Amino acid sequence: MKVRVLVVAAAALAVLLPGPAQAIPAFARKYNVACSTCHEAWPKLNDFGQLFRDNGYRMNRGKDNPTEQPGAYWPIAMRTTVGYQYAEQEGVPVDQPPGTTTTKNGTFGFAGLDILTAGALGEQFSWLVVYTPGLGSAGFGTGPSDGDLESAFVGYHRIFGTPFLNVRVGKHAPDLPVDEHRILTLTQGYNVYHFHPQGSAATFEPGSNQAGVEIYGHSELDALRYSVSVMTENDAIFSKNWVSSPVVWGRLSGKVLLNNGILPEVKGGVFGSAGWHPVQALTQTDPATGEPVPVSGAAYSNQPYQKYGADLHLLFFSNVNPLDITGVIMFGNEDQALITDGVRSAQWIGGFVEINWVPTFNWAIIGRWERIRTTQAGSDTLPQNEGDLTALTLGVRYTVEFSNRMAATVLLEGSQVTTTVSGTKPKGSTVLAGIDFAF
Amino acid sequence: MAPLRPVLLAALGLLAVVLSAADQGADADRPPVPIDQGLAARGKPLYERFCISCHGPQGDGHGYAAQWLDPMPRDFTSGIFKCRSTPSGTLPTDDDLMRTLRVGVYHTYMPPWAVLGDWDLRALAEYIKTFSPKWKEEAPGQPIAIPPPPPDDEASRKRGAVVWTNNQCAKCHGNKGKGDGLSVPTLMDDWGHHIAPFDFTSSDARKCGNTDTDLYRTFMTGVNGTPMPSFADSLKPQEAWDLVHFLHTLRQPD
Repeated sequence: MKVRVLVVAAAALAVLLPGPAQAIPAFARKYNVACSTCHEAWPKLNDFGQLFRDNGYRMNRGKDNPTEQPGAYWPIAMRTTVGYQYAEQEGVPVDQPPGTTTTKNGTFGFAGLDILTAGALGEQFSWLVVYTPGLGSAGFGTGPSDGDLESAFVGYHRIFGTPFLNVRVGKHAPDLPVDEHRILTLTQGYNVYHFHPQGSAATFEPGSNQAGVEIYGHSELDALRYSVSVMTENDAIFSKNWVSSPVVWGRLSGKVLLNNGILPEVKGGVFGSAGWHPVQALTQTDPATGEPVPVSGAAYSNQPYQKYGADLHLLFFSNVNPLDITGVIMFGNEDQALITDGVRSAQWIGGFVEINWVPTFNWAIIGRWERIRTTQAGSDTLPQNEGDLTALTLGVRYTVEFSNRMAATVLLEGSQVTTTVSGTKPKGSTVLAGIDFAF
Repeated sequence: MAPLRPVLLAALGLLAVVLSAADQGADADRPPVPIDQGLAARGKPLYERFCISCHGPQGDGHGYAAQWLDPMPRDFTSGIFKCRSTPSGTLPTDDDLMRTLRVGVYHTYMPPWAVLGDWDLRALAEYIKTFSPKWKEEAPGQPIAIPPPPPDDEASRKRGAVVWTNNQCAKCHGNKGKGDGLSVPTLMDDWGHHIAPFDFTSSDARKCGNTDTDLYRTFMTGVNGTPMPSFADSLKPQEAWDLVHFLHTLRQPD
C-alpha cells in the first residue's frame, strides 16, 4: 500500500508540477535580436541558439563582453506562466471512508518563477544562474515550495583555441536528446528522464540538473557535438569516494543539412550514463527522533546502474519553421542490490515520439506520446508492470509578442498519464490554459 | 573621308565610355539579373524570423530594434551594401551577400548566420534583393581582381606605414589605429547617422571578413554608405597589400 501511495503521489506531482523552463530574454536585450533568433519556438532552441549556447553565450562579433554594453544593461531575465489549470487524478487513496477517489482540482495560479542571470565574461568565460524562489502557495494548487538554485555554473570556452574543448563547472543540465529545460509543454515533462524501476534506491535523473563538471566540444557550426559530465547523484547520501555517489553522463550527436525542401535537416545522437549509488552507510542517532541518520561521506557499498539510448530528429519542410519529428529511446538497468527485496537486476525500456510543427515563428503545435515499460522486475513482491506508464500530451502555443525585450505566449495544452499501480491503471489528466511570459 | 569623321568620333566616344565603365566595374551594358522569385519566397520566412527585428518589414533598416543599434542596420531599399568584391557604387554579387550573411559584420549587431547553411542563406540573399528597385535596373558589379599577396615581412610593413600616412588614414582611424582620429566627430553615413571608424587595435577580426584578402578587398572597393572610400584609383595592388601588412602592427595584445 505504501508503494501504491508513493506511486500515485509521484504521478500526481508529475502532472501537477509544470516542468522547469528556460529562456533568457536578457540575451535578446543584449544583442537586440528577437527571441525567434535563438528559439525555434520559445523556449526550444534552434540551431543558431544551440551554437550560441555552445559558444558560451557568444556571437563572436566583438559585442559579447559586458564592457561593450551600455551601463544600464543588466543580464537578468524572469519567466513565469499564469493561467488556469484543471487536473484530475484517479486512484488517489483516502481513508474516510477507506478506498480511493478521483481528485479534481481547477485552480488559477502561476507556475513558479525563474530568475535567470547569464552571459559572457572576458574572452572565454560564461555563467548561468537560475534561481527559483520558494512559493507560499499559488503554484496551481501544489502548495508551498522551496527555493532552489536550478542551475549555477561557470563555463570556460575554447580551451587551447578550439571549440572542441570547453568546460562547465557547477550545477548544470546533462546534454539530453531534447532539453527538458526548454520543453514546449508545461503539464508534462519527459517521464523517461525521471523514471526509476519499482523499489529502486538510485536517485539520478538526467532530466534534473546535477552538480558536477561537464567537458564538451563541438565543430565550428555544431555539425558534431560531444559532452561528458561527471556529477554527484542528486539527493543521494554522499559515498566515501573522490567523487561521492558518482554518475558519468555522455552524449555524442551530429546533424546534417540536406539542402532540400522536404527534409532539410537530420539530427541524431547516442547517449548513456553509468552511476554508482551507495546502499549502506554509517549512521548517527538523531537525539530528537531516536532514528539512525546516515552520515554524509560515510556511505559505502556503491552499486551500479546504467541508462543509455539513442535519438533521431527529422526536420521536414524547413529547418527554421519545421515540422520536427523527434524519437528518443532509452534503456535502463539497475543492479539488484539497488532494488528493495531485489532478486535480479531491474531493466526497463522507454521512449517518446514528439511532433512539433512551427508553421511560423508565432505558432507551435505540439504532440507527444511517451511510453515506459519494465522488461525485468528486480523484485518478486510486485507485478512486473508496476509503475509502467503511458503519456499523451497535446498543445498549441501562439506567441503574441516576440521582441528583443520580452516574449508572451498564449498556450493551451492537455495531457494524460496512465500509470500502472497494483494491477490498476489510474489516469491523471491535466488541462492548462495560460500565458507564458518572459522578460 | 570627311563624312567618316563623325562616325569615327562617335565610335571612339562609345569606346571611351565602354572602357571607362569597364574600368570602374560598372555594368550599364549588362542586363540586370532577374530575381529568382521562388528562391526569394523561400527566403521570406527566414527574413521574418532572423532579420526583421533590425532591418524592418520593408527592409529599410527601421525594425523595432533599430532604435537601440549603433551602427544602424543597413537600409536594403537603397541598394547600397558595405561589403562587396565589386567596385564602389555597384551592387554586390551573390557571393558577397552570402559572405556577409555567413560571417556577419564585426563589431556591429549583425551576427554570423553560417550555422543556417548556404542553402537557406542563398534564399535569404535573394529575398533581400526584393527590397530595392536597383536590382531590377542594374547588374551586380564585376568583382575586382585580387593578386596574390607579397610576403608579409618587415619591408612590406614599413612600406605600408608610408601608405597609411600618405593616404591620411589616421585622420579617421587615429595615429595608432584605435578609430579615434580627428575627423571622428564629423563622420556620418549616407543616412546622416554618426559612424565610428574601425578600431584596428582590439581584435584581429575585420568588419567585412577576417582574412587579409577581405581587408585588401575593402581597401579597393570601399565600404559603401560610410565615409570609407575605395582606394582603387589611388593605390597600386602592391601598396594595398603593404597596407594590409602594416595593419597587423597596430594590433595591441589583449
